[in-house]
Amino acid sequence: MSKKSRKLIRSATIEDVAEPLAAPDPAPEREFYFIPDAEPQAVDERELHDQIKLWRHGRATRTIGEVIRDGYVALFTVVVLGAMVVNVVMHAQTGAAACTTEACGIARLMMPSAFVLACFALTLSVARLFGPVLASAAEGFWLMDAPISRRRLLRARLVLPVVIAGVVSVVLTALISALVGMEIPQVVLWALTAGLGSAALMAWSAAEQGLERTRRVRTALWVFGTATLAVFLFVVSITAGWVSAGVASGIGAASVVVVVLAVAAIALLVTNLVLAGRRLEQIRRARLISGGSLVSGMQGAMFALDFGLIRDILVEREAAARGHVRPTRGRGLGIWALVWRDAERLKRYPKPWIALGASLVVPYAADALRLVVLSPLVSALGLFVALVPFLGSLRVLTRTGGLARALPFKTSTIRSAAMVVPAVLALLWAGAATPAFIGIAEAGADRAPVEGAITALVAGVAGLFGAVRWVTAKRVDFGVPMMATESGAMPPTLLFNLFRGFDVVALITAPIILGAPATWSLGIAGVVFVLLRGTFNMDELKAEQESMQRQQTAQKTGQGEKIKIVRPTR
Amino acid sequence: MAKRTPVLKVTALKKAFGPVVIVDGFNLEIGAGEAVALTGRNGAGKSTVLRCVVGAERPDEGTVTVNGIAVAETDPEIRRQVATVIDDLDFFPDLSVVEHLDLLARAHGIADPEAAVDEVLHEVQLVPQSGQLPATLSSGQRRRLALATAFVRPRSLLILDEPEQRLDAEGVAWLADRLKAERARGLAILMASHEPALVDAVATRVVRLAGTELVAAGTDDAE
Repeated sequence: MSKKSRKLIRSATIEDVAEPLAAPDPAPEREFYFIPDAEPQAVDERELHDQIKLWRHGRATRTIGEVIRDGYVALFTVVVLGAMVVNVVMHAQTGAAACTTEACGIARLMMPSAFVLACFALTLSVARLFGPVLASAAEGFWLMDAPISRRRLLRARLVLPVVIAGVVSVVLTALISALVGMEIPQVVLWALTAGLGSAALMAWSAAEQGLERTRRVRTALWVFGTATLAVFLFVVSITAGWVSAGVASGIGAASVVVVVLAVAAIALLVTNLVLAGRRLEQIRRARLISGGSLVSGMQGAMFALDFGLIRDILVEREAAARGHVRPTRGRGLGIWALVWRDAERLKRYPKPWIALGASLVVPYAADALRLVVLSPLVSALGLFVALVPFLGSLRVLTRTGGLARALPFKTSTIRSAAMVVPAVLALLWAGAATPAFIGIAEAGADRAPVEGAITALVAGVAGLFGAVRWVTAKRVDFGVPMMATESGAMPPTLLFNLFRGFDVVALITAPIILGAPATWSLGIAGVVFVLLRGTFNMDELKAEQESMQRQQTAQKTGQGEKIKIVRPTR
Repeated sequence: MAKRTPVLKVTALKKAFGPVVIVDGFNLEIGAGEAVALTGRNGAGKSTVLRCVVGAERPDEGTVTVNGIAVAETDPEIRRQVATVIDDLDFFPDLSVVEHLDLLARAHGIADPEAAVDEVLHEVQLVPQSGQLPATLSSGQRRRLALATAFVRPRSLLILDEPEQRLDAEGVAWLADRLKAERARGLAILMASHEPALVDAVATRVVRLAGTELVAAGTDDAE
């Protein structure tokens, strides 16, 4: 402690201070340990790896038998859900077989095609995000520095994502193919192709990772993503009768193409696995750990079912990858400066526009697929997902109080300002989606123009407020009274986080779905808005009440003593 | 002569987390041009006091007023008068360094925001990083940006939680000079710090906290 600090403390004037400060202890004598100067022995990487495994397994407090016994509810749920899925598939098979029109036949082949392409896009997206080869921070620290073969260490890390990509794609494609009414041999063929293709793409991504290349993977991701959307739109167009089914008359030969694709996927898988295996040694440690830390961060967020945090991690990562922007000058003063920044973001980050455009397909697809009753709900859910990236500033301003505290406005004013740009987008979306709600497909919706416009508005507002509710989620507070569940004590917010946003969408669209007037939905939306913008913030209400009391006191005292408020200085 | 209203007045503040009482019966008054440093070992309650003072934490007992106004975190008048740099300051991941400062200056209605931002940016030595996104800043640069957010806006009370953290020696020296200048202009400062050099240079009073009891407090009219 410095001389002046000691002097200041000595000059204590508070009477409660009875005990004098103890004199600081003299610096203790310390001894340091240095490792002996001897040649290190050879290190076996497998032994090291096994040691880490042992430590991890050694921490287990329950056997697998006990876990299964405790989780009987989970197992029961899986069995029940499995039975339901099988039941749905069997019903779909029967129903689909009854439809023998050319349009049905084409849709039967095109829907699995769209899902195969979607699986490929998803695989590349996951591979690009995580590595795909990754290592935990602990492994990076303890093992990567050791003089061992990185290739032997990472071999399992290469095989695991390839296998997972294959299995997930097989399951998803098999389910969709079965649901659209394909015959079993065809289901197997399509599912295998999807699985092999995804596994091959994952291996290819790993091979590219070894060369530190990302552009090719990114391009392929865009190609498969666009192709998925195009095929899906094509199916909708044929089903709605906008495009003649005759356009796709040659599609019957698709099975041959699928077989060729499967064979090509096997060749690609083997080649790229070998290549990726050889390049494992070249992957930089920072790249490996980056994927590992992302996984551990997301795991932590998943344990708390904090989906907002998962998105925050991804956004932060994307910002770190971008690193730099060309600064632009703001406009306006006061709260409008915040609104202007949101508008500026639309130009700077155009990627979310794609999702917003894609979400516009949902009401048209719902109309084409004759989902007239559920269309507002499904469309609002699509918009909800698409609007989340546009609510970035609301997310930052609500997740911690620090930044909002730096702005001289009420919390409700800040929230309202951060909703302005997304609200304009939702309104534009509702305008563009209005024809779908009026009904343009044969046997689709049949509403009057005004009713259709109001329904579109309800869907737009529901999507907006669903997204707002989702992004304003607070972190789960484990300090609150817990709820007793079969899985142990759980904070209530943990459970509610699962439905956050969806609850608002369902609430606002419920009257329309149940046949009540749309004005009911708009009324509910009004109440939801009042709650979401934090109008009933207790702190604010108290502050307002105290402010009014101060004014009343000042009025009563007249020319008497006034409370002097020092104006802030720069 | 009428007694001047203190800029910050803390009366009988008590805060406990469960059975652990962090502070109890804490009183403090800070006038314009005064700087108070809270010191004490880790866990002594410095940050808790600061969080209660800015309204981020609700005290169990006691009152906190700024220029006679009871502190509520969401009160715009409090937000206008109190600049804070405590541990919960967040940044927009998609706005650059200069855009953060520009936004804050405009939000507070600064007449010439560009000039103000330019001055502050030079002072915190973040001009080369002006276009960078916060995720790419080093921890020291992030701290400089956090401090800049407090200096680019009007304020009558400055609350800082270990502002010297992650700053290099030159940065700590700059901060000490800056805070002295702020104090000389009539700003009230409350800060928690472990850096004796900063405390010596800036504080007109040092309050040492030790868990639930106030171990010592002093006044100094010097400087």
